[in-house]
Amino acid sequence: MDNLQYLLLLFISTVLINNFVLIQFLGICPFLGVSRHVETAFSMGLAATFVMTMTAFATYFINTFILVALNLEFLRYMSFIIVIASLVQFVEMFIKKVSPVLYKALGIYLPLITTNCAIMGMALLIPMNDYNFIESIIFGFGAGVGFTLAIVLIAGLREEAQYGDVPRDLQGMPITLILAGLMALAFMGFAGLAMV
Amino acid sequence: MARYFAIFKNGLWNENPIFKLIIGLCPTLAVTNTVVNGFAMGMATGFVLISSEIVISLIKKFIPNDVRIPSFILIIVTFVTFTDYFLGAFFPEIADALALFIPLIVVNCLILGRQEAFASRNPTRRAIFDAVGMTVGFTWVLVVLSAIRELFGFGTLAGVDIFGAGYTNMIIMILPGGAFLTLGVLVGVLNLLDRKVGSDNG
Amino acid sequence: MAEKNNSIARLIITLTIIGALGALFLAGVYEWTIPHILEHEARARERAIMEVLPEVDYYEEATHNDRIFYEGYDENDNFVGVAVSLRGGGYAGEIEIMIGSDPYAREIINIFILNHQETPGLGARITEEEFRENFENAPFSELEIVRRTPEEPQEIEAIAGATMSVEAVKNIVSRVGDVISEHYGGGS
Repeated sequence: MDNLQYLLLLFISTVLINNFVLIQFLGICPFLGVSRHVETAFSMGLAATFVMTMTAFATYFINTFILVALNLEFLRYMSFIIVIASLVQFVEMFIKKVSPVLYKALGIYLPLITTNCAIMGMALLIPMNDYNFIESIIFGFGAGVGFTLAIVLIAGLREEAQYGDVPRDLQGMPITLILAGLMALAFMGFAGLAMV
Repeated sequence: MARYFAIFKNGLWNENPIFKLIIGLCPTLAVTNTVVNGFAMGMATGFVLISSEIVISLIKKFIPNDVRIPSFILIIVTFVTFTDYFLGAFFPEIADALALFIPLIVVNCLILGRQEAFASRNPTRRAIFDAVGMTVGFTWVLVVLSAIRELFGFGTLAGVDIFGAGYTNMIIMILPGGAFLTLGVLVGVLNLLDRKVGSDNG
Repeated sequence: MAEKNNSIARLIITLTIIGALGALFLAGVYEWTIPHILEHEARARERAIMEVLPEVDYYEEATHNDRIFYEGYDENDNFVGVAVSLRGGGYAGEIEIMIGSDPYAREIINIFILNHQETPGLGARITEEEFRENFENAPFSELEIVRRTPEEPQEIEAIAGATMSVEAVKNIVSRVGDVISEHYGGGS
């Protein structure tokens, strides 16, 4: 019971308190690049969440049973990036075969995910925080949900902002950054919600 | 020589990675709470960028087109790991401050982007100028951003007290929200400058 | 060679060669840098131990239940204190603290924050000397947070705007009391 509560707190903390995008600055490129419309932002979030959960799963095993067991930690970054790149490729092929509808929705976002630093950052934070297997999966999934939440929220704001009277030099990226800043301040209110 | 200088100058303003190409923003926001951190991040990224541009421009003939990107990533990750261990061994304070964002240089789109756009199509000497120009362009924006944040957030510049003991720190500047706000306003100001004087700066 | 560019074998060979050369190079880098990195870690740990057990001349490591305790001795080889590091939840993330105690787990000698992610300028003030002084010679049990200048040894002065960070430190420190007294003569 205690354990279940802890896992729930870990999830809340990953999604809200230490939100990957707004508090930890991970995954800023897609956050700014693919957030013009709510629907596309949601698809991007979905694809990222899927790959992040899979990555957490795969890198946990590689790290524990290969890198740490054989004392090859200096190959950590190399093996993680290979895992992420292959996983993205594999997921792309798999979805294409199994569900053409889903592929149509997510397909174009998948290649972008390889260089999404939220994925690599998440994979690297797992060994840094000494998470066990279950914690790693929850953390990976929570990181993806947090990313989706942030990108969908900013897309909603941007859809509104384009009707606003934004000064010429602030249009585009600057106003998006300012909106993100206000969101980040709001997200600070979640701190203290759960002490993990 | 003038041609090389033009390549170098390109990264400073016209194709500045941060406010023109809009890439490499994660470290830009995350580690710019003090000038020292911002500068160190610029140098670490620059080292990886320069070394991989050199290596890739040298061996580009031997890399088959189909595995171009994976090969670039393997070369980049090698230099990133080197940087991580090197800083950990000889500059532990910097390594602690930048922490996660050193390994994340590997997914900085700036690095891979320059290999694809420049190093894989140009001779080594030109690639070096491109890499150095991009490094300086990336670093100066980081330093300006971190100077603003450190000055108002801590009342200091590179650790030197500026406003004296009576200054109340504007904590928002060091918080994540402050990073987004400052960069947003800074990019707006740079856009304005670019529009007003940009034509003769090219 | 150019027309064979795309044969699968060549693709694999190219990637393998680049990967292998990279790995080989990194193995060398690892061998070269790791002694320095370990030395820095050891020195940082030693600095923290000396901070929380200032009277100590040298210390020895002891392991009980997979936890490392640093047993401190003065120059006459008297056992004068024990230090242990413990993590716990803070306001924005984990806080890791090194805590020095007398050998009987009755009084705290001093504490040192090893790692934290608290808000800069607010919660991060737990690392300041002024806050840590609150714990000097305080008992492990009955620690109490007060919003005025402390008068009793067990009282800890709150930091304005950082109640939860202070609370978190207090909880971790209280837990250390139990951890130490479990192995070191609480009864004597």
